[in-house]
Amino acid sequence: MFAIFKRELRSFYTTPIGFVFSGIVILLMNVGFYVMNVSVNESDVKPLFNLLLIGLAFIVPILTMRLLSEDKKLKTDQLLLTAPITVTDVVMGKFLAALAVFVISLVGTFLIPLVLAIYSVSEPWAIVGNYFAIISAASCFIAIGLFISSLTESQLVASILSWAVLIGMLFIDMVVATSEILIFKVIIGWVSVFSRFSNFTYGLFDLSSIVYYLSVTLIFIFLTVRMVDKRRYA
Amino acid sequence: MIEVNNLVKHFGNKHAVDGISFKVEEGEIVGFLGPNGAGKSTTMNMITGYISATSGSAKINGIDILEDPIAAKRHIGYLPEQPPLYMDMTVNEYLDFKCDLNKVKDKRKKHIDEICELTGLTGVYKRMIKNLSKGYKQRVGLAQALIGNPEVLILDEPTVGLDPIQIIEIRNLIKDLGKKRTVILSSHILSEVQAICERMIVINSGKIVADDTPENLQYEIDIDRKLALRIAGSPDKVEAVLKRIPDMQTVQFMGEKEAGACDFIVEPRGRIDIRKPLFNALAQAGCPILLMSPVSATLEEIFIKLTSAKVGGRKE
Repeated sequence: MFAIFKRELRSFYTTPIGFVFSGIVILLMNVGFYVMNVSVNESDVKPLFNLLLIGLAFIVPILTMRLLSEDKKLKTDQLLLTAPITVTDVVMGKFLAALAVFVISLVGTFLIPLVLAIYSVSEPWAIVGNYFAIISAASCFIAIGLFISSLTESQLVASILSWAVLIGMLFIDMVVATSEILIFKVIIGWVSVFSRFSNFTYGLFDLSSIVYYLSVTLIFIFLTVRMVDKRRYA
Repeated sequence: MIEVNNLVKHFGNKHAVDGISFKVEEGEIVGFLGPNGAGKSTTMNMITGYISATSGSAKINGIDILEDPIAAKRHIGYLPEQPPLYMDMTVNEYLDFKCDLNKVKDKRKKHIDEICELTGLTGVYKRMIKNLSKGYKQRVGLAQALIGNPEVLILDEPTVGLDPIQIIEIRNLIKDLGKKRTVILSSHILSEVQAICERMIVINSGKIVADDTPENLQYEIDIDRKLALRIAGSPDKVEAVLKRIPDMQTVQFMGEKEAGACDFIVEPRGRIDIRKPLFNALAQAGCPILLMSPVSATLEEIFIKLTSAKVGGRKE
């Protein structure tokens, strides 16, 4: 697993993909922090992290589109699947590499907690909660993107599909939020990655939300492993 | 050691591999010969655990590839038809990655250096794989298969894309490697298999047609009895002379490719050597032979020969 992780992580930063992704995250967060917090004397960073969450729906596909599709296209999957490692090693290695790129990007936002710690009286746990929430949400998105990447040989198809799914989820949330029908609200509220998010951002370590994010991530990783395996047994 | 037992692979309705069984002992180099689409690559992909078999089993050193894939794969070095290269890595990084995959820990640098030396990659060690020529890419693919010193080497068309000098180098390398290892290599070039392998397994449409040493198979595939001739003289006269030679089966006029000479392809009856009577007859008629060469058999002809021998009820 570590071999795959190492290779993928290096590959992210030998191609522009890693830098583009990290650049967008860092730019979005720091400019957003200035506009939404510093310039208006606001210590609540919840809207800022919500902005990043929406941003992630757009940029995570950049990270995940080539993870498994390219291996299929270039036949490098023959190397990985005939090596003495399991399919789970391959999939987990790739998943963790993508997640690591996001975490590395977050390091570039270190000014935010620093400034808040010095100049604001806000709850430190709320900041930790926000970071924890955004990493959890990102891991869900990456797992979904990874799964979609396992469905096709084309990076382009993988990226468009991932965008459609992630942005589609965003839209459903918005529609439901304004909907009058209660049953929809309850169901979608339960399955929505986005509505779960707000619980965290208040600094509450809501156990059901943690379980939820972990489950979605694991389910999609499991499905990805099954998908890669299924192609071999076809 | 490789043991393959009644391996079958269906792709939908297509029977890509249809009940193949064989055994390869240590120190043996076996050539897999067959036309494109015969099932060579599919068989290799099943032995290496890349795809599963519909039925049957493949064992590497006694370990079933489907029952304990990790243990079995540790003994295999595999060069697929298309070398599985990461274009965005240097040769050195790529081989290092392969060491990571195979969990090679001791003296890694020395191990990689040795393999580069063997495969002639030392000069391109630091180059990006995407910038290498096809021949070098093929060598990186071969180098990758040697990482971790696997006892079993499975090479799918290892000399494709190499120039003639490189082909000879790689063939010698494979021969050398085969002394202590178990090697299966596939090819659709007959002479290549004859040059490297002690044993040939000929497959056609998913079935084994022949499994023997090249020498023993020589008899069956020996259809080098056809001769191409260039003879000085007029076509009519030469043709008449040729047709009078006893045991001549067919005489085929191939046109006049040189001034004052005509080309023929002749085939004797059975396995009779007609070169001497041919020479004498033409010498008497005053038509000197300018060129005489055997018409080498194509792989297709060999298959027809081997499969028809089976149909004809020849005993195994």
